[in-house]
Amino acid sequence: MTDVSVDAHEAEPGHWEIAVGGEVDLENAAAVEQRLQDVITNRARSVVLDLGGLTYLDSAGLRSLFTLANRLELLQVGLEIVLPADSPVRKAVLLVGLGEIVPIRER
Amino acid sequence: MVRPAESGAATDAGPHTTGDRLRRIQTLTDTELARLGVDEMLAEVLERVRDLLEVDTVAVLLLDPSATFLVATATRGLEEETSQGVRIPIGRGFAGRIAAERRPVIIDEVDHSNVLNPILREKGIRSLLGVPLLVAGDVIGVLHVGVLVPRAFTPEDAELLQLAADRIALATQARMTQAERTAAAALQRSLLPGQLPTVPGLELAARYVPGDGGEVGGDWYDVFDLPSGRLCVVVGDVVGRGLQASVAMGRLRSAVRAYALLTEDPAELLRKLDVQVQHFERDVMATVLCAVVEVDQSVAWVASAGHPPPVRSLAGESGELMDVEPDPPIGLTPVRRRRARAVDLPVGSCLVLYTDGLVERRSESLDVGLARLTEAVRPGPAEQLCARIMGRLIGSRTSADDVALLVVARPGDDGTAPLRLAEPAEPRSLRSVRQSLRAYLGSVGATPEEISDLVLAVGEACANVVEHAYGPGGGVLEVHLEMHGRRVRATVRDTGAWREARGVNRGRGTTLMHGLVDEVHVDRDATGTRVVLEKSLGRNS
Repeated sequence: MTDVSVDAHEAEPGHWEIAVGGEVDLENAAAVEQRLQDVITNRARSVVLDLGGLTYLDSAGLRSLFTLANRLELLQVGLEIVLPADSPVRKAVLLVGLGEIVPIRER
Repeated sequence: MVRPAESGAATDAGPHTTGDRLRRIQTLTDTELARLGVDEMLAEVLERVRDLLEVDTVAVLLLDPSATFLVATATRGLEEETSQGVRIPIGRGFAGRIAAERRPVIIDEVDHSNVLNPILREKGIRSLLGVPLLVAGDVIGVLHVGVLVPRAFTPEDAELLQLAADRIALATQARMTQAERTAAAALQRSLLPGQLPTVPGLELAARYVPGDGGEVGGDWYDVFDLPSGRLCVVVGDVVGRGLQASVAMGRLRSAVRAYALLTEDPAELLRKLDVQVQHFERDVMATVLCAVVEVDQSVAWVASAGHPPPVRSLAGESGELMDVEPDPPIGLTPVRRRRARAVDLPVGSCLVLYTDGLVERRSESLDVGLARLTEAVRPGPAEQLCARIMGRLIGSRTSADDVALLVVARPGDDGTAPLRLAEPAEPRSLRSVRQSLRAYLGSVGATPEEISDLVLAVGEACANVVEHAYGPGGGVLEVHLEMHGRRVRATVRDTGAWREARGVNRGRGTTLMHGLVDEVHVDRDATGTRVVLEKSLGRNS
């Protein structure tokens, strides 16, 4: 199984910081999506998704991020993505236009 | 009543004369027996002993490898002994006493006090005669005969039986030694990969040669990839020779592979191995050199447990000993911390790992052998280098010790052979394809950003094959990379009937491919689909 880590912690009540590290591809994208949905409970008011630890993210993983973004928008939960300037997955995230529906910051 | 055979009464000529019987002993060494294996030879000889001494039962018990038990190995008239795997402790009972005292024993009347083995009593055996099987003064087992009607075995009977026993002992020993050698050689062959793994960007070659007289020992080499995409390279030498060393080697080799899944730090790996050996394998000592090559192949982390240092040569230079200071051997003494050292492997370099049999000669110091090795090492194709080293250091002499040699070469720029991968079209193949792509692209000098772009673009094409090309029966995913000057051409191929992608997000893969590489071509025909991706290196901002 492609190696991935999902580490979530509640920085302040209702405000979640989730760091995803490793690789996300066709093999594990659905599992990652499920993990993120499990972590983000109804009480959540905002989520910061830190993708700085990702070394690979393909269209299956990006599809999961779009699904997550759409769902959180529906739930009126704020979402931001952290993506360092030197992240190897930054280019892919920008190419598919995820930045047009989710604010992306470098740190 | 039990009596030593020497104090026996007068000779019983019986129906056979002594000369007659002695002559018949010769039949025990017939050339026809020479071709038989241990079991068949014993079966045949026991039959002849039974006939010769006119007894009802004959049994051979051999000493087990721990030298604490006799194990019933072949019997006539006492088949229960072998089928039940009877074990007799040395020094106890009838057979145990013979082995312990190394002399014939006669029992005129079998009873509880002198025979422990219930099978002998239940069988109704009334008298017994037994002699030790001796090879060069060492007991290797016991031969005994029994009768169902009481009989006073004579010293002459004992002498005859001893003559038979001596022949059985020699034949058994010779056959067992041969069997052991054959087993050890088979084990060694099965454990040393004749075909080394294919690692894009690296060339691997290895040799193993048994020592004097073709006897294998405990040397081994091993190459395998790690979950991270790093490569683990191991050379080791278990102290000792023959089957026992080979068996121990097999266990150590497996342990190294298992620990490599827990840690990719070679020093920590050797520390774990050492703890394991000291706990479970008290009698085993080994020297091991373990190297872990980084994914980009530019550096290897090397740790040594009492093993001679590797030799590296850089492009255009001869070899030099790497300063990998050995920590204590495996299985010797508790070691709290072990060290690993980085050895750079720039393009065009090679790393040579070996066991001491390669460099040691009886008449000279180790330094002379090491100097001979460093002179012999030159960068070049791994197979050629292996052949060159073996030619220079071994030549036509036979090494006293066995020899293992492993060469890891990182070919220069001109060695940009194409990369060809064929994997099952399954999601789990994607990761290993990426690892191979990264290693190959690293070896041709692509920048990290170029590697990321190409790996993702090719990864998308591969994911398409995995998702859409084949039905439930599956198929093959083929990836082919080649260099045209500084331009990379990647071809991803399947032989399935492509289904059009479904769902709303599928177009992203295509978007990514077009955004990451210079050109994307898709050819589709009846035989399958071919996606060609091209990107020039060295043009990224």
